[in-house]
Amino acid sequence: MFRYTKLTALREVGFWLVALVFLLPFYFLVTTALKSDREVITSSTLAPPSAPDFGNFAKVLTATGNANVIQGLLNSVIITAGSIFLMVLLGSLTGYVIARSTRRWSRGVYYLFLVAIILPTQLGTVPLYIGARSIGLTGSVWGMILLYSGMLLPLAIFLYAGFFRGLGTEYEEAATIDGASRTQIFFQVVLPLMSPATGTVAILAGLIVWNDFFTSLIFLGGSANQTLPVAMYYYIGSLVSAWNQIFAIVIVSMIPILAFYLFAQKRFIQGFAGGLKG
Amino acid sequence: MTQQRRLTRIAGLLVVPATAALVLAGCSGSGSRSGDGNADSFTFTFATSNNLESPYEALAKAYMEANPDITITTNPTPNDKYGETIRTQFQAGNASDVVQTTPGSGDARGLVPLAEAGFLEPLGDTATSLVPSGSEPLFEIDGKTYGQPMDFTIGAVVASMGTAAQNGIDEWPTTMDQFYAECETLTGQGKSMLALAGAAGPNAGLTAQGIAATRVYEVEPDFNTERAAGDTTFAESTGWKDALQTIIDLKDRGCFQPGAEGGGFDAITNGLAQGTSIGSFIPSGSAVEIASAAPAEANFKVQPFPAAKGEKPFVLASSNYTISINAKSEKKDAAAAFVEWLSTPEAQEKYYEVSGLLPISEYKNLDLSDTIYSPIVDILAEGSYTTLPNNVWPNPAVYEALQVGVQGLLTGQTQIDQVLQNMDNAWGE
Amino acid sequence: MSTTLRSGQQVATETERVVLPRRGGRGRRVPPPRRSGQLKFGYWWWALPGIVFVLGIHYLATGIGGFFAFTNWTGIGAFEIVGLDNFVRIFQDPTKIGALGNTLFLAFGSVIISNILGLGIAVGLNRGLKSRYILRTLFFMPVVLSPLATSYIWKFIFDFNGPLNVILRGAGLDSVARAWIADPTWAIWTVLVVLVWQNIGFAMVIYMAGLAAVPVEIEEAAAIDGTTVWQRFWHITLPSIRPAVAIATTLGLVNGLRVFDQIMALTGGGPAGATENLATQVYKQSFALGNFGYGAALALLLTVIILVFAVIQQRATAERPEEN
Repeated sequence: MFRYTKLTALREVGFWLVALVFLLPFYFLVTTALKSDREVITSSTLAPPSAPDFGNFAKVLTATGNANVIQGLLNSVIITAGSIFLMVLLGSLTGYVIARSTRRWSRGVYYLFLVAIILPTQLGTVPLYIGARSIGLTGSVWGMILLYSGMLLPLAIFLYAGFFRGLGTEYEEAATIDGASRTQIFFQVVLPLMSPATGTVAILAGLIVWNDFFTSLIFLGGSANQTLPVAMYYYIGSLVSAWNQIFAIVIVSMIPILAFYLFAQKRFIQGFAGGLKG
Repeated sequence: MTQQRRLTRIAGLLVVPATAALVLAGCSGSGSRSGDGNADSFTFTFATSNNLESPYEALAKAYMEANPDITITTNPTPNDKYGETIRTQFQAGNASDVVQTTPGSGDARGLVPLAEAGFLEPLGDTATSLVPSGSEPLFEIDGKTYGQPMDFTIGAVVASMGTAAQNGIDEWPTTMDQFYAECETLTGQGKSMLALAGAAGPNAGLTAQGIAATRVYEVEPDFNTERAAGDTTFAESTGWKDALQTIIDLKDRGCFQPGAEGGGFDAITNGLAQGTSIGSFIPSGSAVEIASAAPAEANFKVQPFPAAKGEKPFVLASSNYTISINAKSEKKDAAAAFVEWLSTPEAQEKYYEVSGLLPISEYKNLDLSDTIYSPIVDILAEGSYTTLPNNVWPNPAVYEALQVGVQGLLTGQTQIDQVLQNMDNAWGE
Repeated sequence: MSTTLRSGQQVATETERVVLPRRGGRGRRVPPPRRSGQLKFGYWWWALPGIVFVLGIHYLATGIGGFFAFTNWTGIGAFEIVGLDNFVRIFQDPTKIGALGNTLFLAFGSVIISNILGLGIAVGLNRGLKSRYILRTLFFMPVVLSPLATSYIWKFIFDFNGPLNVILRGAGLDSVARAWIADPTWAIWTVLVVLVWQNIGFAMVIYMAGLAAVPVEIEEAAAIDGTTVWQRFWHITLPSIRPAVAIATTLGLVNGLRVFDQIMALTGGGPAGATENLATQVYKQSFALGNFGYGAALALLLTVIILVFAVIQQRATAERPEEN
């Protein structure tokens, strides 16, 4: 039993103050993005805009060429969705088999994936790059989907395997007795059951793909298929230091993910904390 | 039950992006870069250092006006990351159809290594005819030209004589003593003689080379050839030591603006336009761009940096900007037509008008006495200039070492000997 | 438990074997029963695409990259095997040693600071605060943002005329205000601040989940026994969340070692290479300067470091017997 004392109230207020200071950068983000070109040079960085000017957002949304933000946004959506789809499919199939298998090799394979999660991608980036280039997959949406799926598959498999290990086989047993084939069992019995794990995979892996910059820069930079972070990088690069415009695009890039986060924050947090405990 | 609902929700979440994917995959076509499917539209990448309209933007607009059915999508790219950006794009096959490059091999955007790697398309006779005689190795490989020169750029100090006059400086200093004296006066008023973008590699490097013009190349015009032959090194060169020492002296005596070591290009643009700095080592072409943001009294002029005692003024002058075509471009004909147009007198005229850069084909015939180049007319006539050194160096790492070295000297992280040694190491065998 | 099923003993029914709970995950110490080697559900070849994919994209590519670390390839044309030359170059070049130092500094610095602060916030929010869920959402928000975007915001804050310096000057601390990002000593700390800011929420939620599992009764009993808050924390709370500490620190460390986006956006590696780390150097050498062989050597070094630390980390934090 826990009493809510004055000390607790003090603690609560204290943490709210901490949170406000912690989130101060967002204040600067929004106020600066709403300042006009003149005001951003003349006014103090601490002061809010005298009259909110949404012109910066208009400029951002109509940028063209390498800095085409709308195009980047669409590409990010396609690539992220595609990668999630592929990861869920392959990851669940592989994780399921590993978890259900009792052979020795399944253990080895499990560790294979575990190590692959930790292995940094830098070393393989150049060979992958050259390989992709020779097949003509650089600058293409499908190439990126394959690449991201491959890169994050170990994580997906790890999460699914962990999940399936903890899932009793009663349903599958019952279905077997009912005469269902193995494929039917998986797609009709197991698939619906694994939605918590799928949610975790979608959120964790999806977030990584959505925010990825380095890989997208190298493989897609300058093409019509580049993702949002890269478009933002090119747009900001050409702005030198017009902070109001820079922040306008930063806000535009943040809105999708923040909206999603606020809508599903419980899922997000559970995904991070729970999923990673494996 | 809950699982059913969850399944539907996940399915729903996946269906929408999946459909979108299919639809848009259909829409974005065969990966064509120019977007609107018009056979004569193409893309054009060039470097920018500020938010003002670049001369290349102006040229693209002029071309589109003359040819209404052609669309050029321009991609202004930050100057301080330009080399690595276009290299990354070239290697992945994602570069624009038309790309601004630089002659030689001493810069990451140098056209020689790019051409050797097969990234550039050979250009026609027009381009070849514009190459200044004697500098073919910087533009051509095996007789084929890979970059069409646009300009004849002077590398010296671009100074606002109007701002200078307002601060009591009526004549540009011709000796270092005078220069330092002016620096002191200005610092007292919270202004500076020079604006330096210490954090931007290209400006740090250009400043060093601009000073080296008098300290190194006035004395030994063949330094680069000798260095290539192995007869001398940077570390042994008293001229280079002197040039780098001058940078340190300029900083110690308040000739740069406060915070110069961390300054970006905006420090220069703002400093010159608002009159807090008199001049800067920027390509002469940038003067017109900045003048558009400055009051009319600014009166920018290209001034030679004072020579050391007993030496004559010397500046850098060569072509710095070339236009190349991407070998993987799907719009080569359209691109070639544009590049061809860039060599016409009307295009060159427009280029000169918006950038102040001397057109490569005409500059010898122009009367410059009433332009920003008036202070150096004699210097040019005498031939007291040298090509931008790093264009002639064998690889980009040498210039990078110089740029980083200058930054290190400004912050006190490195010593002159270390910087020169790094440049020698980068040169290779 | 499966301990009853050592080889040699007959199993009653298939169902019994399958239905009895098994302990999954890393805590398994018992070998799976060898008798029934048959896969009961799914087909073994379902795992094949996944395995091939991972082998290809992770191991094969990494292996090839590792090979190139011993060559002088520039990305095009021919190359020669140069043995350990690249590695010798790395250790002779003070900027590369600096990059190595920065890599370690950023990794350990961000892990230590964000974990301590994250734990602090988690403990503070743990018991009884009415708005803990809202606060948790707020503190976690930076984690989902793109590292590139947050770096741009902080670049503004640290600017010579940005809010930080304005506040400092307003408070009369003019001498403290400086060009943070361009300062060779302080620039790396700005990167650290950005890393920590973004990762506190991550550590926090892991600890909150771990703390939530600590039974209240033990703490209450200890409180009744007269222990201080600090003693309770040190002897009861901390040991209970050891697995959470293990995960948070391992992940934090591995990710801290390969920071890239934040450095590129904030300082670009400057001033004069003061904030370069191995990951940014790999990019510059391989893609900007075309020294693929050298870049691969740097990447190999980074990989080895990460693997070494991951293993040490695991040994150090997961070796103790798991408490219930």
